[in-house]
Amino acid sequence: MTIAISATGLTKQYGRSKAVTDLTFEVAQGEIVGFLGPNGAGKTTTLRMLAGLVRPSAGTCSVLGASVPGPTLRRVGTMIEEPSFYPYLTGRDNLRHAALLHGDVPATRIDEALEFVLMQDAANKKVRAYSQGMRQRLALARALLWRPQVLLLDEPTNGLDPTGIAEFREALRAVAQSGATVLVSSHILAEVEKFVDRVLAIDKGNLRFDGTLSALLDRMGDQQVSYTVRAADSAVLRTALGDLGYAFTPRGADGADVLVPRERADDLVSDLTQRGVKVLAAAAHGDDLEAAYLKLVNPSGRPT
Amino acid sequence: MSPLLAVIRAETFKVLRKRRLYVLAGLYWVLLPVLALIVARVLNTTLASSFANEGGNIDQTLQLFASPIGLARLALTGPAYTSPTLYIVAVTLIAALLIGDERSQNMWKTVLVVQPSRVAVMTGKVIVALGSIAALMAGAAVAGFIFGAIGTTFLPTHFGGNWLELAGLYGLQALQLLAPILLAFLLITLVKSGVLGVVMVLFLPSLIETIYTIINTISQVQPLNRINAVFQAIKLQAVWQELPKYFFTANLYAPGRKPATSWLKELGVGEEFEPLQNLLGNGLPLTHSALVMAGYALIFGVLLYWWFLRRDID
Repeated sequence: MTIAISATGLTKQYGRSKAVTDLTFEVAQGEIVGFLGPNGAGKTTTLRMLAGLVRPSAGTCSVLGASVPGPTLRRVGTMIEEPSFYPYLTGRDNLRHAALLHGDVPATRIDEALEFVLMQDAANKKVRAYSQGMRQRLALARALLWRPQVLLLDEPTNGLDPTGIAEFREALRAVAQSGATVLVSSHILAEVEKFVDRVLAIDKGNLRFDGTLSALLDRMGDQQVSYTVRAADSAVLRTALGDLGYAFTPRGADGADVLVPRERADDLVSDLTQRGVKVLAAAAHGDDLEAAYLKLVNPSGRPT
Repeated sequence: MSPLLAVIRAETFKVLRKRRLYVLAGLYWVLLPVLALIVARVLNTTLASSFANEGGNIDQTLQLFASPIGLARLALTGPAYTSPTLYIVAVTLIAALLIGDERSQNMWKTVLVVQPSRVAVMTGKVIVALGSIAALMAGAAVAGFIFGAIGTTFLPTHFGGNWLELAGLYGLQALQLLAPILLAFLLITLVKSGVLGVVMVLFLPSLIETIYTIINTISQVQPLNRINAVFQAIKLQAVWQELPKYFFTANLYAPGRKPATSWLKELGVGEEFEPLQNLLGNGLPLTHSALVMAGYALIFGVLLYWWFLRRDID
C-alpha cells in the first residue's frame, strides 16, 4: 500500500491556543477519505498544513512521499475554504493563469476541465458575475487542471444548492475513479457518507476517530435518522409506524415526524408500503455531524 | 518549465489583462507629448518671426522640448516632477495588482499550492513588476520619438541629440525603481492590506523626509534649544546635515531629473541661480544615487523575502 498523505504528530499552535494537537494519520493512494469535524475543529488548519500554506508548530506531514512544502505539491489540487479568483478575469482566463503558473498544463486541458464541471457556456464571463455554485465548480476545474494525484478539498459543497451538491458529488466520484487520492473535509456527515471509503473525525484539534464509515456508524450505535413522512391516509401511516415500533410525532393532517434507527433508515419507505401505506413523500433530515459528535465523544449526549 | 519562468509568464498574463494599466500607459504615452507639441506649435507660430527668436533662441527651445529627443527626454523627466510622481503611481498600481490582489482576493492559498516555490513566486512577481514599469517607460520614449518625428514636419526641430546618454538615463531610472517596488511589496505584505500598503508607499518616504526637514529647521534655530543641544552633545550634527544625500526620494528620481539641470544650462541659467537648481534637482551624482538606491533595494529585498518565506497563509 502506497501512502499518499501522511501526518505525524502534527500540531499547530496560535499563541496559547492549539488549533491542531498531535495529529497522526495516513491516507493510502487512491483512497477517498472524509475529514469530519464540527466548525472550528481544526480541519482547515490541517489541510492548510498539508498544502504547505501553514507551518506546523510541531510534527511533520508529507504528500506523495515528500515533505511539504515542496515540489510534490504541484501534483496536488486544492479547494481550501471559499473559492477565490481574480474577479476581473474571466473563468477561462483564471484557469489559464493557473495553468501558466503551474507550467506543465497543456492548453487543451483548460477546455476539458471546463467541460468536466459543465462550465463551458459561462467560461468567458468575468468571475465577478459568477454565482456561488459557479465559483465552486470553477474551483474544482482549477483543482483538476494538472490531473492531480491528490485532492485536498475543504468543505467543497458549502453554499451549494441540493442540485449543486449532487452534481459535485458525481464529479468527485468521477475524479476518484481516475485513481486520485481525495481528502475531503466536511462538518456534515451526510455530505460525504455516500462516497468516502474511510473517515477521520477530529474535534478540538484532536483525532477522535479513524476508520471506515461502517465502523463509525457502529460507534454511533443508537443513532437515529429523523424523517418527515406524508401519506395519503394519515391513520394508516400512524398505525404502521406504531407497528414498526418507531417513535413519531403527528405533523399536519397527513404526515408525521419519525425517528428511525440508522440501520433501518434506508428501508423505511418499503416497510411502510408493505404495511399498506401510500407514501406521498419521505424526507430524511441531514444528520449534522456536530450532533453525532456529542455521541461519539461524550456518551451522555450533553455538550462538554 | 522552471518555476520562475512559469511565474513570470502567469503574472505577465495577468498584468496584460488589467485595463487600468492601459489607461495609465495611454495618459503617459500620449498626453504629455501632445501637450508639448501644442505648446511648441503656439510658441513657433507666435514667436518664430519675432525679436525673441534673434539668435535662434526659440528654435533652440523648441529643439530642447519638442524635438524627437526632446519629447523622449520630457517623457523621462516630466513624470519625475509630478506629485506624487507618475513613477510611484505606476509602482503602486502594479504592486497592488501583483501582491495586493493576492491578499484582497485571498489568492495566496491558490498561488502557493500551484507553485510552491515561494522564492520563485516572489522573484517572478518582482521581475514582472520591474519589466512592466520598464515597458511603460520604453513605450513613453518611443511615443516621444514618434510625436517628435511628427513635430519635425511643422516645427524647426531635428532628430539630433545624445540618444545614448538618454537611453542610459532611462535604464538607470528603471533599475532604481526596483527599490520602491520592493518597498511596496514589503509594505503590502506586512500590513496585510493592499490599500493601506499602497497609501504607505505613496506617502511614507516623503513623510519621514518632511519630519527630518522640520527637525532640521528647529535644530538650526538660535538660541540653543533642546533638539540642537542634543545634536551638539552627541556630535552628530555633521552626519545629520549629510542625511538628505541618502534620502529615498532625493536619490530615486536622480536619473529622471538629471536632464532638468542640463536644460537650465542650455537655457542660459547659470549655477549661481541656486533656488531654481534646488527646485529642479539636488545635483546628486548618478553613481551616488544608484548606490544609495541599491542599498535601499537590498534592505527592502532582504526584509521582504525573510518575511514572505516564513509567513503562514491565513
